[in-house]
Amino acid sequence: MPGRLSDPGADTIVPISLESRQPVVLSLRHGVSAPVFRVYISWSRGSLLHVACLRPPSLEPDGAGDDEEEGGKVVEVRLGTGDGGISEAQMRRIAYGSVPPFVELQSWKNSLASLSMMSSSSFRTEKWQYILEYSRKVNELLKTHQIPPDNVIEDPRIIVKLLKETSSLRAAWELMEIFFIDKQSLSWLPERLVDWLEEYDSLVTRTDLTVYSKLVAMQKKLVDFKVIEDNPDYWEAVSSALAVGWLDTVAKLLRLHGSYQLDQLDDRETENGLVEAVAVLILTMPRLCPDLSSEKIGQCYDTKPDFIKAWEKWRGQVSKLERSAYWVQCSHHQTREGLQKLLKILLGNISNLTSATCHWMELLISHLLYTRPFIMGLEGLNNLAQKCQQLKPTAEYNGLMSLLMGILQESPEAVLAECSRTYGPWMVAHGTELLAAGSDYADIQLHEERYNLGSISIEELHWLVYAQVLSSHPLTWQIASTYLAQCPKQGLGLLEFLLYKQPLQHHQGIFKNLDLSRSYDLDNISASIMKIAGMHHWKHGRKGFGIYWLQLARDEVRLNRIAQQLFEFIGRSLSDDSFQQWEGLIELLGTRVGSSGGLEFLHKYRDLKRLLKQVEDGRAVNAARLAAESLVQLMKSPSTPQQFWLPLLYDSVSLLNWKAQPLLRVSETNLLLNKLQDLSMAKMCPGFVDSNLPSHALSSVRLALAKNLGRAILEEC
Amino acid sequence: MEREVASLEKGAVCCAWNYCGQRIAVGHIDGYVSIHDSHDYPAAPSSSSKWKAHSSSVVKVVWTPPECGDAIACICEDGKFSLWEEIDEDTQCPTWKLCKLFENSGSHVLELQFGVFVTNLKMVAAYSDGHVKVYELMDPLNLDKWQLQAEFQNVLASVSRFGKASCKSASIAWNPHRIESQQSSFVLGFSSDQPQLNSSKIWVFEEAHQRWISVAELALPEDDSDRVHAVAWAPNIGRPFEIIAVATSKGIAIWHVVLDPESDGRLPTEKVALLEGHDGEVWQLEWDMSGMTLASTGSDGIVRLWQSNMNGVWHEQTVLDCNAAQS
Repeated sequence: MPGRLSDPGADTIVPISLESRQPVVLSLRHGVSAPVFRVYISWSRGSLLHVACLRPPSLEPDGAGDDEEEGGKVVEVRLGTGDGGISEAQMRRIAYGSVPPFVELQSWKNSLASLSMMSSSSFRTEKWQYILEYSRKVNELLKTHQIPPDNVIEDPRIIVKLLKETSSLRAAWELMEIFFIDKQSLSWLPERLVDWLEEYDSLVTRTDLTVYSKLVAMQKKLVDFKVIEDNPDYWEAVSSALAVGWLDTVAKLLRLHGSYQLDQLDDRETENGLVEAVAVLILTMPRLCPDLSSEKIGQCYDTKPDFIKAWEKWRGQVSKLERSAYWVQCSHHQTREGLQKLLKILLGNISNLTSATCHWMELLISHLLYTRPFIMGLEGLNNLAQKCQQLKPTAEYNGLMSLLMGILQESPEAVLAECSRTYGPWMVAHGTELLAAGSDYADIQLHEERYNLGSISIEELHWLVYAQVLSSHPLTWQIASTYLAQCPKQGLGLLEFLLYKQPLQHHQGIFKNLDLSRSYDLDNISASIMKIAGMHHWKHGRKGFGIYWLQLARDEVRLNRIAQQLFEFIGRSLSDDSFQQWEGLIELLGTRVGSSGGLEFLHKYRDLKRLLKQVEDGRAVNAARLAAESLVQLMKSPSTPQQFWLPLLYDSVSLLNWKAQPLLRVSETNLLLNKLQDLSMAKMCPGFVDSNLPSHALSSVRLALAKNLGRAILEEC
Repeated sequence: MEREVASLEKGAVCCAWNYCGQRIAVGHIDGYVSIHDSHDYPAAPSSSSKWKAHSSSVVKVVWTPPECGDAIACICEDGKFSLWEEIDEDTQCPTWKLCKLFENSGSHVLELQFGVFVTNLKMVAAYSDGHVKVYELMDPLNLDKWQLQAEFQNVLASVSRFGKASCKSASIAWNPHRIESQQSSFVLGFSSDQPQLNSSKIWVFEEAHQRWISVAELALPEDDSDRVHAVAWAPNIGRPFEIIAVATSKGIAIWHVVLDPESDGRLPTEKVALLEGHDGEVWQLEWDMSGMTLASTGSDGIVRLWQSNMNGVWHEQTVLDCNAAQS
């Protein structure tokens, strides 16, 4: 079988990749013992896949046979949620938190696009500011909550802060921010990378040794050291910390040196002086950056000429100390050796830098600090990184380092692939903004429409993929629409399918769905949702709700069928007790039915039937008159469906044949005759619905109308 | 990555999910059908109902579109099929009621699928003698009144007729597009002893002449009318072309189809990939809701996910192995 067997705990299934690669192979834990007879699959919302595994069936009833096992299991598999090792709840917090900055940025871009300002120079400047602001807001979200230290009194022996739950996602985001959008930082790139490594050194590798892991190990042993400066691990740790520029750690470590102790037995003044001299040089190291935070050590210079001047002077001091005669007077061998190593690092001795660092990224940083502080441009940095990789080869390239290499190689494809593979759809959907800002080439790559993708851009594709992942979870599906709305071509198409696949048993769900479909003018899907809700309620004994939803959906076909059912029922069971149920339904409908449903006439028909009943009982002439008026009104009303004309007239034959006097005037009778004529014409049209009346119904109505007309003419003469 | 949503009783032979994936209908070897309801997070205890639908084994269950309420079709081993719907007159206890039993003398129904349109529900059923019947629901409120709208064979020229065909299985997929103006269309393929019937063809309902016509064949001459084991029509959320997957013994072919006929009335088609990987017959193909990922499963007991990369090259993206030993 092709592919590699993945870590069963790893969530590595990532949708849409840039390149074809070996498939991820996962064993599905479904709990059905082998052999599996059949496997059924079905996609649910978003990227949820349902898998049913069935055992070979047997006709033996449950409980019989050799075992008690079930016939199969259904499991739900969530795909495409690779997220750099962040917990589900944390990822949800990030998903919700990143919506406002994303929307703000997109609305700003849309407003500019509408003003056709995309190419102006003022736009470009403003763009950096907006994207930087967006990046910083997102970066803030990715921060993990640091647990405050247990001990409020600072322990001088704590030399490194233990990083809790360091976020690889944030480390990756910061890398992209440094290289792609923070234009200001490009001038002091080496220093930004030094800071970055200080925070994320623990993430550059999972398997190999790092300066951070070395310091953590040393810190644990610190309490056991009697004479710290005698221990080679101490000097190694100081060298390593110095090589990667963690000057405050170096200063702390140096101050632990035994020569600082007050109760000295030997004469150690010179030794102490040398330690302090090196410490002073370290503390005054020139740094090319706008300002140093209060925790940082060094002399800050924000212009290159000032920095060069200070750098040369400082290196002169380091060299001078290296050649100093005081070393002869330092009797402590390890101290002399250790301090001289430190000076060599400060002077950029490559073999010392190489031996003091563990990982190639650390070696790269040490070069930036001590040999190439003025390096500019990604090409130079990339060449240097490759040299460092040759010197410090690593078996494992994790996602973060692959991302850095993609950035240094100026390959947006590699950056996207790495973001997708290691950090998942959230990172790709949000990080494309940074990537596009990085270079015109990346911008074109991301926004170019591609036929292979269905004539959408890579950016839109990744928004669609992210929205699909969001829609897989009941707690996040609602924010998927925000991203889909930004997709110029296929977003609303996907939103339609997403809304259609939402369960609609509860009113709350229906209203939420309708709100969303109305917000995006998806009238078709609104109608579908209302039809589905209407039919569900109609079939589940909530006929009032059923009609309510079908009316809103303007589903004339179904409403006419309901009208027919009600009409037949009212005609049949006026005296029936169960009429109460239907009456209540008609009352509920009131006049809100409008012309679409054709149910308004049922209300009037109910009144007509009541009057006809009184007429049949021979109670009142007035009732007959009112019934005749009601009949004419019903026949005139455009909301009375044609299919009910003949049944209405047939029900009213007794009125038309009223012996005492004609109840309808000539004009009214003509109107009814015309309706009858229309009806015979309509019979020839497709879609005509015939009523289930006896065959003589039409002729008896016609005769009765003729009789009434004759008598009315005589009366009106 | 995975969580259990339902446990099925012994004797389960087939199953199908409803439109939102919350209800599963399961067919049993003893002719029973059961419905399992699962709910969203947090997992609530699932409820279920069960009834005897046929005297012999149920071989396939299909949900109707939700616009018709909660209803299923059950195909039985003896070639009959029945329609059942959930009703609840007193809002106390919903029950499943038989709406209609379809019996066909001489031939067995192999496959059926529902397509929903603005005014009515259509059902296409494929039979073991190679015939295809399209039914139309006459009353949208009741699933018992159906009218046979058309009957034809799965061949390109409407005049050709084949005598005795013996079909093992059939695969049908409606165009899932929900645009009202679009014509009804579906794709259909057979696994039979008649090569002309086998290849997948796209059928479109021509309103003007009120007839079904085949407008494209999804097979190349060298495919030699391979038996078709499964078809799936991808949802189209805005692509200028349709994507249809067809599984034969050679693998899963991915076709691009443009729904804009050429002068001869045929639809332009292009086979863009042949995906090989399943060891044995492919049983089922399912597209996700964006039409970007195809899931397939087959007799090798493996679920495979397929995607196209940025350059339009289709590849196997993930393999979910269901054969691994379970602890």
